[in-house]
Amino acid sequence: MITTTDLTKVYRTRDREVTALDGVDLHVREGEVFGVVGQSGAGKSSLIRCVNLLERPTSGTVTVDGQELTALAGNGKRAGRELRAARGRIGMVFQHFNLLSSRTVLGNVELPLEILGHSGQERTRKAHELLDLVGLADQAKAHPAQLSGGQKQRVGITRALAGDPKVLLSDEATSALDPETTRSVLQLLRDLKEQLGLTVLLITHEMDVVKAVCDSAALMKNGRITESGTVPELLATPGSELARELFPVGGVPSAPDRTVVDVTFHGETTTEPVISKLARTYEVDISILGAAMDTVAGRQVGRMRIELPGGFEDNVVPIGFLREQGLTVDVAAVTDVTQNAKDARDAKGGQNGGNTDAVGSTAGLVGEGAK
Amino acid sequence: MTWSEIQPLLFQGFWDTLYMVGWSALIALIGGLPLGVLLVLTDKGGMLQNAPVNKVVGAVVNVGRSLPFIILLIALIPFTRLVVGQSVGSTAAIVPLAIGAIPFFARLVETAVREVDRGLVEAVQAMGGGTPTVVFKALLPQALPSLVAGLTTTVIVLIGYSAMAGTVGGGGLGSVAVQYGYQRFETSVMIATVVALIVIVTAVQLVGDAVVRLLAARRGGAGGDGGAGRRLARLGRGRTVAVAAAVVVPLALIGYGINQGGEDKQTLKVAASPTPHAEILEYVEKHLAAKEGLDLDIRKFNDYVVPNTATESGEVDANFFQHKPYLDDFNKKQHTHIRPVVNVELEPLGLYSRKEKSVKGIGPGDTLAVPNDSTNEGRSLHLLAEHGLIELKPGAGQEATLGDIADDKGLKFKELEAAAVPRALDDVDAAVINGNYAVDAGLNPAKDALVAEQAEGNPYANFLAVKDGNQDDPRIKKLAKLLNSKQVKKFIEDKYQGAIEPVFGNVGS
Repeated sequence: MITTTDLTKVYRTRDREVTALDGVDLHVREGEVFGVVGQSGAGKSSLIRCVNLLERPTSGTVTVDGQELTALAGNGKRAGRELRAARGRIGMVFQHFNLLSSRTVLGNVELPLEILGHSGQERTRKAHELLDLVGLADQAKAHPAQLSGGQKQRVGITRALAGDPKVLLSDEATSALDPETTRSVLQLLRDLKEQLGLTVLLITHEMDVVKAVCDSAALMKNGRITESGTVPELLATPGSELARELFPVGGVPSAPDRTVVDVTFHGETTTEPVISKLARTYEVDISILGAAMDTVAGRQVGRMRIELPGGFEDNVVPIGFLREQGLTVDVAAVTDVTQNAKDARDAKGGQNGGNTDAVGSTAGLVGEGAK
Repeated sequence: MTWSEIQPLLFQGFWDTLYMVGWSALIALIGGLPLGVLLVLTDKGGMLQNAPVNKVVGAVVNVGRSLPFIILLIALIPFTRLVVGQSVGSTAAIVPLAIGAIPFFARLVETAVREVDRGLVEAVQAMGGGTPTVVFKALLPQALPSLVAGLTTTVIVLIGYSAMAGTVGGGGLGSVAVQYGYQRFETSVMIATVVALIVIVTAVQLVGDAVVRLLAARRGGAGGDGGAGRRLARLGRGRTVAVAAAVVVPLALIGYGINQGGEDKQTLKVAASPTPHAEILEYVEKHLAAKEGLDLDIRKFNDYVVPNTATESGEVDANFFQHKPYLDDFNKKQHTHIRPVVNVELEPLGLYSRKEKSVKGIGPGDTLAVPNDSTNEGRSLHLLAEHGLIELKPGAGQEATLGDIADDKGLKFKELEAAAVPRALDDVDAAVINGNYAVDAGLNPAKDALVAEQAEGNPYANFLAVKDGNQDDPRIKKLAKLLNSKQVKKFIEDKYQGAIEPVFGNVGS
């Protein structure tokens, strides 16, 4: 539905050039919610603005719904008629809502319809219908300043949908909202997507947003997409940074002579109680060091770090059992008898020292375990 | 002056002010709004980014804003004549007022539009809106409260500027204050006009603020607790004000237009200084003109350039304010063809003092105030030289200056604007004052002057003047006859008590 090929955006200032997008290839399938995550400055904002050409890409192409927007270039900064018509078929939601304070809620929702040239009656009818859909029928006559942040964003979403777009772009739509409101706005997005068959491209710096609504995700770093795929695909990818960020697990061995294993559930397994089955079948004592699990669309998705007694050789069979269940298993760490004293001390220091140290030591252990 | 005399002045001044400010504000709105928006759109990063256009428009606006209004007023005279067909009167004043206000308002528009969140522009663009859509649906509606505040400021500045419009015969309250209050020492008129101006400015500000508040309130700035009732009440009051303004302002404009219309071709238009020239003409108009079938339209000017240029261009038929040396110089420098018709009066210069009773008391170490304009200063120095107070260099002409003094005999001089000299009389030992200003300041030229100019053979007699070729216009001949009548002689002698002396007859060459 949305495809970009080798998209590049370079900002030129008087004395230097900043590359915001460095050859971005993105593919968003019809009907999915696609999340692009990354630190601020990674180029997410430039990317979403290049999709409807609010920003002109320096090179590369953008195709939305089979139409190559980059071919509809207007004169310089000005958008030509065709490009404007194409933009009318793409809804956009903004972090700071960008509602006109001079208009009522109804007036804001009618604005895109005015631009599309609908008649007055038609506009009002359509706007009321949409406001009903998002539960803001009572607020039609209010001005944006009288609404809460969540209500404002609902108006922003309603406005974006007024022109019956097939594609919705969401630019950090929930970043200015509190967690509770964020959840309800995301739920609304999800519902609307189902009801209206939308394709949604959203950018965010919050992993929770991706976890809550996205079918697919991509990670952006320094203007490049470093990972991309459906959420289960990402989880199935060994060493996926996005999977680790989405479902972070921590925890270090509690004693000498232990094997630490990371188990990834990527939604293919049934809701069978795999861990207790493992314990019963092999009579091992399993401790769960950390877990980040979620149920998405009735399937379990996430990661879990467990600790098994004994060295790696002692645990080959249980690990094999887990793999047979369709899970991805990574050995994160093994402590042997001679090394134990030092590791135990490190571990203790790490735990007392707070989060950063713990992550550092985990990373070290992962490195060892990878061999 | 009594209230019954002041009231019609105030009333006329009020309508003149309203007429000038109303129209010029409307034109400034129409001209300044697109300019201001253009400045934002063509700026770096703007939707129509265009550095050359932006620079040119910006430069034009800056030049327009940095010109002092009085310069603009004079510089625009040819343009004004081209646009409205005349360079005098309230209608003519609208042109420089509007042109002065357009760049001022344009900058305020620019600031207001710049304040609009860029995100809103982006949102409208994302919906598929082009530049006109962005301007009319987002930028202007969002900036509306600031635009109204800017227009309020512009109107108030225009009221201030319109006070200067008196110099082109525009009338208005400010000019009433200057003509009567400052030049004729009619303090009551000055206070009344100033109070009226304060009331108008305050009213404009209050109405402007109310509209801004109303617009802000409708945007929900007051918060959710405001209560619909109170918001509605506020809305109602705002509408009343808006409707009242919408009704009163055009009515005023139309009413004025009707007043201005229906001008009789036979009417003789005469430009004159307010004192004493216009007063003498008014006397003629009231008591003598009707019998002769002469219809006068007297236009008052505080300025000494426009009456001549207006006579040259035919906007007025004659003028009465100047003397021969001034006219000769003017004709030479401005290439005009104004000719004197008949002498009427002389305003003799006199030396006055609050400290000394006689000219003999003035000596070394004393400070004398003299007028600073070339003609009056020359006259003053010749008067002083005539009475032995100073010696002028041989050959010092009629426009002698302090530099032409050969021997100051220990006297010191202060040069002041002619009208301001009487005000300085307490601060100096003696001052040379024009007769009319002396009378205005409460001095009696016949008794109080230590020495004064002689009327006989004086080249500074003021005369009626016309453009060359109109000397034989029967209306001019009638007016000349009346101005040299014995009734006028008596009027001048009675009214001005020697400050102004009747000097009749042909103008010497």
